[in-house]
Amino acid sequence: MLSLQGISKGFPGVQALTDMQLEVRQGEIHALIGENGAGKSTLTRVVAGVHQPDTGSIDFDGALVSWSGPGDAKRHGIHVIYQEFVLFPHLSVAENIFIGHERRNRLGLIDHRRTRSDARNLLDKFGIDVDPTTLVRDLSVADQQMVEIAKALVHDVKLLILDEPTAVISGPEVTVLFERLRALRNAGVAILYISHRLEEIFDLCDRVTVLKDGKYVATRMIASVERDELISLMVGRSLSELFPKRNTQSADSPVVLEVRNLSIPGRVHNASITLRRGEITGLAGMVGAGRSELAFAIFGAMRSSGGQIFVDGREIHDMTPRRAIAEGIGLVTEDRKGQGLAMNLNIAANMTASTLSQFTRFGLIDFAREFKVAKQEIESYRIACRGPSTSVSLMSGGNQQKVIVARWARTSTKVLILDEPTRGVDVGAKIEIYRIMQELADQGIAILMISSELPEIIGMSERVIVMREGVITGELTRDEITEETVIELATRRYAS
Amino acid sequence: MQAVLQNTSRYLSGGRSGHLIVIGLLVVMFIVGAVLSDRFATSNNLLNVYEQSAGLAFVSLGQTLTILTGGIDLSVGSIISLVAMLTSGLINGNPAMVLPVVLFVLVLGTLIGVMNGAAVVVTGVHPLIVTLGTGAIVQGVALLYGLGPTGKVPLNFDTFAYGRIAGKISIGATIAIALFLLVWFILRYTRSGRYVYAVGDDPHAARLMALPHKRVLIGVYAASGFFAALTAVYLVSRFGVGQPYTGANYTLASITPVVVGGTMLAGGRGGVIGTLLGVYLVSLLNNVLNFMDVSSHFQLVVQGLVIILAVSVYVEKRRVA
Repeated sequence: MLSLQGISKGFPGVQALTDMQLEVRQGEIHALIGENGAGKSTLTRVVAGVHQPDTGSIDFDGALVSWSGPGDAKRHGIHVIYQEFVLFPHLSVAENIFIGHERRNRLGLIDHRRTRSDARNLLDKFGIDVDPTTLVRDLSVADQQMVEIAKALVHDVKLLILDEPTAVISGPEVTVLFERLRALRNAGVAILYISHRLEEIFDLCDRVTVLKDGKYVATRMIASVERDELISLMVGRSLSELFPKRNTQSADSPVVLEVRNLSIPGRVHNASITLRRGEITGLAGMVGAGRSELAFAIFGAMRSSGGQIFVDGREIHDMTPRRAIAEGIGLVTEDRKGQGLAMNLNIAANMTASTLSQFTRFGLIDFAREFKVAKQEIESYRIACRGPSTSVSLMSGGNQQKVIVARWARTSTKVLILDEPTRGVDVGAKIEIYRIMQELADQGIAILMISSELPEIIGMSERVIVMREGVITGELTRDEITEETVIELATRRYAS
Repeated sequence: MQAVLQNTSRYLSGGRSGHLIVIGLLVVMFIVGAVLSDRFATSNNLLNVYEQSAGLAFVSLGQTLTILTGGIDLSVGSIISLVAMLTSGLINGNPAMVLPVVLFVLVLGTLIGVMNGAAVVVTGVHPLIVTLGTGAIVQGVALLYGLGPTGKVPLNFDTFAYGRIAGKISIGATIAIALFLLVWFILRYTRSGRYVYAVGDDPHAARLMALPHKRVLIGVYAASGFFAALTAVYLVSRFGVGQPYTGANYTLASITPVVVGGTMLAGGRGGVIGTLLGVYLVSLLNNVLNFMDVSSHFQLVVQGLVIILAVSVYVEKRRVA
């Protein structure tokens, strides 16, 4: 269906693709994997006609093609579902489905009745349970995604490209999406599925192509490839090197933070935890178990009722974020864009945001010093960027995360809480973040890592605290931590 | 049925809250007027309010379109001034010149709009700045043409402003209604109309969907220029002559009915029917203020307050998590 040969594409300052090849067959779901920056998005855009390749040839549906633009590729049956949906929130589902291909009557006027009935037929045909007259903004994200797919089906779609479709949906919604995609495959549509979640690829796809640094690495049949092999193809390293070597001398080191019987009405009940110097403690549990809330309460950003917080044995009454920072406690939140970073400022400004007073003289910012420090941090955290003046919004999720950790590490001399520190970052950046966490722990900082990814909890934690529905259900030491024990505690029903 | 109603009301209104707010305000204004003066609720007075709404109606109709695309046209006041000057200046009392000059100035207004739209599309500069700039240029040209009232028009040129059907219903204001219905129809039933909403709702998505967003943008600014020119012709018809500052207050004035009528400044939501109701609300408000015997300068103060209030009422409240 689609065959690319020798595709190269450069942008000012970056060579995004070099001698790329890809082959997608009719009636298969083909996975495209690689770390962030491996060239997946650029490749997609070349196929979809958004970018024109510098060299190389595209064969589509039996003919050599050269797209003049996205409209051209679409007319020939290529439809892309981007991570950020191309939907008009204040138009209805039906209007969105037929945008650009409005249903019209003989006078050339829009036929609203036919728009609705055609949309309903299309949605029914693929078992998508959405009312065509609803405004798109009133739909759940999963339903919006279904509308995006329905939009593709209006045309005679031959190749459907999905860019990280499961980044925005969860659990049962993923199952539904996969069912729909399999149905489309069986109807003869070629599907190119971009993801960095290996579990999904094994579940859904038929073949997989791995990219790295803008180059083609390999194509494999899913049935005959191991997970570890894919990871090493992606990162050029083997899985056992994913987690850093641990230094296990911290078991009896002094307690720096102690929380006793802390409650948040409706969220957390009677939680008690201790964090030790230089120890990485995992906080596991299902989403909604109250882990983030507990972290917020320790940091003083959420009101708690009752309970005591001790730092170095001293009780801190009325914890506030300002107080927490002064005590050397830091919190890296789950939501980078919302709470962590000023996206339009540069790296240097973001790094020094919480310690700006150290960089001012007579009330003016000393940019030379700020840049010098930022440069050192960029090196020690191995942040990929052009320099301290790079705008954070231009960086990958993994590098943004490193900037935040770097900033907090500047003030967090005792405790650093990280909430889902590797969410949405690729494997390479994960390894880097794990290394940074271990280094900070080696420097004596107590680390509390909230994570929903079991391999990460198991691979990183010295000790694991498990929560379920606002209650701490157990604590596991190094030797007791296994997938089974953690899941058991995270889902345990306790006697009532 | 409910869905149909919802859909219909959305198109008529542009927003969920619909036109109820404006209609409610119209009723309140009416009651206030009736309480203040027994001459207010007479058919004579209301027909006058209707008649006077025409000038504001045209320019606001064009402004609605630019705002629906997420833009704005701040050059309409200057366009009105220049076109008004040229209308009376070029006709200069000669009845034979009326038709060619009116056609010429309407085309001129449209062309200024096309330039606005082209500048927005080509430079990518926010329309606010683009039209502020062209507005200054056009105002300068108007002042170069003449520093005071220029030219004159034949007596019967006032038919547009003062002519009445059956001696009662204003011709100009009725033409305005017809044009509002025409634009409503275009927005509702043509692809171009649909794309006006789409471009305003999400310009990035419109580009990715390969919708003709450039054509849409140029189109709405062209329409805005055309309708501003039409307001200018109306004002010359009404006052008998054009002055370099005829349109001075019309930039702000053209936005008020749009936002009062529920069209969102962010684009993609709203419609012309709300604007028409907004025009009537503003006209009624000015009429009531006249009955209260306050100076016309105070009317400007009130208009400033109304526009801020209107936007704050319609502004989307941030969802509290």
